[in-house]
Amino acid sequence: MTSTSFAEASPNQSFENQWAVETHGLTKRFGENVAVNGVELLVPRGCAFGYLGPNGAGKTTLIRVLLGLTHADSGTMSLLGFPVPKHRAAALARVGAIVDEPRFHGHLTGRQNLQLLAAAREPAARDRIGPALERVGILHRADDRVSKYSMGMRQRLGVAACLIGDPQLLVLDEPMNGLDPAGMHEMRDMILSLVAEGRTVVLSSHLLDEVERTCDAVAIVDRGKIIRQGPISELLAGATVVLQVDCSEPHRARALLEATTIGAAIEVSPPGLGITLPAGTGREVVAEINRVLVEGAISVYRLQEIQASLESWFLSVTSRLGASE
Amino acid sequence: MPDLGPLPSPARAAAPRHASRDQRGSWIPTGGMIATRFMELRKRRGLMVALILVTIGIPAVFLLIRLLLHAFAPHSYGPAGGYDIYTGLVAGVLYVFGFIVAATLGCTAGSIDLSEGMFRHLVVTGRSRLALYLARIPAGLAIIVPLVAIGFTVVCAVCVFAAPTQLNYQGVHVPTGLSRTGFESWAADHPDPVICDFPYNGPITANEPCGGPGGGPGEGPGGVIVKGPPGTSVSVQPTPAMTRAQAVRIARQDYSDYARTFLYPSTSLMIRTGLWLELEAIVGFIVGLGLGSLLGQRTVGVIMMIVLEIILTPILSRAHIPHLVNLQRAVVGLAVAHLEPSGLGFVFGGGGGPGGGQGTSRLVPETTTVAVCIIVAWLVGWTVLGAWRMMTRDA
Repeated sequence: MTSTSFAEASPNQSFENQWAVETHGLTKRFGENVAVNGVELLVPRGCAFGYLGPNGAGKTTLIRVLLGLTHADSGTMSLLGFPVPKHRAAALARVGAIVDEPRFHGHLTGRQNLQLLAAAREPAARDRIGPALERVGILHRADDRVSKYSMGMRQRLGVAACLIGDPQLLVLDEPMNGLDPAGMHEMRDMILSLVAEGRTVVLSSHLLDEVERTCDAVAIVDRGKIIRQGPISELLAGATVVLQVDCSEPHRARALLEATTIGAAIEVSPPGLGITLPAGTGREVVAEINRVLVEGAISVYRLQEIQASLESWFLSVTSRLGASE
Repeated sequence: MPDLGPLPSPARAAAPRHASRDQRGSWIPTGGMIATRFMELRKRRGLMVALILVTIGIPAVFLLIRLLLHAFAPHSYGPAGGYDIYTGLVAGVLYVFGFIVAATLGCTAGSIDLSEGMFRHLVVTGRSRLALYLARIPAGLAIIVPLVAIGFTVVCAVCVFAAPTQLNYQGVHVPTGLSRTGFESWAADHPDPVICDFPYNGPITANEPCGGPGGGPGEGPGGVIVKGPPGTSVSVQPTPAMTRAQAVRIARQDYSDYARTFLYPSTSLMIRTGLWLELEAIVGFIVGLGLGSLLGQRTVGVIMMIVLEIILTPILSRAHIPHLVNLQRAVVGLAVAHLEPSGLGFVFGGGGGPGGGQGTSRLVPETTTVAVCIIVAWLVGWTVLGAWRMMTRDA
């Protein structure tokens, strides 16, 4: 990913900027605690982008800074090509967001809450209330008071609140919170359909599995810093390869493999071995392992490459970061 | 969650054109923002019930009880309405409670988005935070101004339509609306109560007995009424003609006082009082709104406003502290009290009554211009503070 200079760009010029979100050196402190630490984030347009990190990593703080809910201490940022906070109103005109858990006026109905928000947007937003409620599947409860809504329904209402602005960019902070498995599935489908319409969805979450299923690209944040970002496929290509080998005499098999130069980390895990190979290891190495074992009179019952998951990759990246510090 | 396809408008609509048309960066709130904010406040059932109870319910129940008591026991209980009831209710109830309910509504409007988590949704719309703040002012006033007006109208209606049929002047039933000549003629026809009960500054000689055994304050020895400054002595036994002439003289002197005594408040006084009560409510709402926004919570703000109105302002209205006179003048409650229409009682208790000017005369001296400037300063100052906090607050 490359960066684009936007500091001097006018809104109209920068509208065609390729990045939906772009930050440079963005920093936000709370006293001595640096919640967002020089973040360089580039979110391409028209994709689902995961913003991953453990609890307390600074995910929500970054979102709040981007949306102007709190100010940044330093750095620059733009949304949809509009520098913010300079062109904040123009930028947010096409942004919808859920930050933290979606909370609304409990004494109003879902529809009335959306009317309140639509009034603060452009006049056309009022006409989108019905379709937005229908799309998130709560039209039949639209005239019930929000205080009677479940957490999942509030999440859906939060998404509807985003949609009434016809956003090009949606920022969803932990949108799966409070949803049952069916609701999570529906939310995932909806995010994908939004992306299919050409919108950009930034999904902040600690649910790696959900992000992996939904997003095209991710950024990993830890302790306020982005430590990796890019398309998931590219990131996982750089992950270690794990082989599961079911064999006889696993201790002798381990000794045989350690005597070679394949450079693997080998653990005995009944009924065989767990072999972790460095990133970029080719298929010939797998064949070499099999050959060594067979020539050593070890019976190989199964040899399987375990697909690296985002979760395992995330854990390995964050644990390496923790170890290095 | 049914996938019903894309929204009516395409995702990649021309954002800059839309953005420039809706003017969401403008600090001026739209009619839609005001209307929906009004709806949000109006739908707060508990708050609305409390506001209605205090602004309309309390005076209405009070007057209803008086109406019933008078209907069932007219000799024991006087009419429900009348001038005295009007001044007492306006200065003693509507003024203070109107301010408090307006301040409560203001504190609610200023803080509730924040405490209920709606503020960040509104900020994310890109709408100017100043516009979000300013939209609350007309929305809140659209609630509190009619409420105060309705409560006041109830008081006016009862005080006018259930007023006494005879004027009670100095404890004497006198026909209302008499001209000077008519008042003097009536006095000539009723010399006894006039001489005995009407105030008079001068010597009086009459042979009318006043009061029972022991007499009244003006009763002299031997049935001769002596009224006048100490040391005045009268030895002449007056004729009936002299007595009537004496009553006419007393009536002539008391006419200006009588002319300011009414069965019920005049239309002019009611209009001026209504405007004054609305001013007090507007001040309460605007200050409460700013305070609520500044604090970010309702309860503390409401408590502070109640303390200001019920404790601090009455104390500062009664105590003239030489070194703190300017501070006393700067209290908005006292400034509004200075604008009290003449003819009402003292707003912070202690009665008052007809005669005009008795309420404000107890306050720290202050010109009307200064009072107006102080009120404007409070309105502008709290609006600026509240808006500033909303614009700089983390959402």
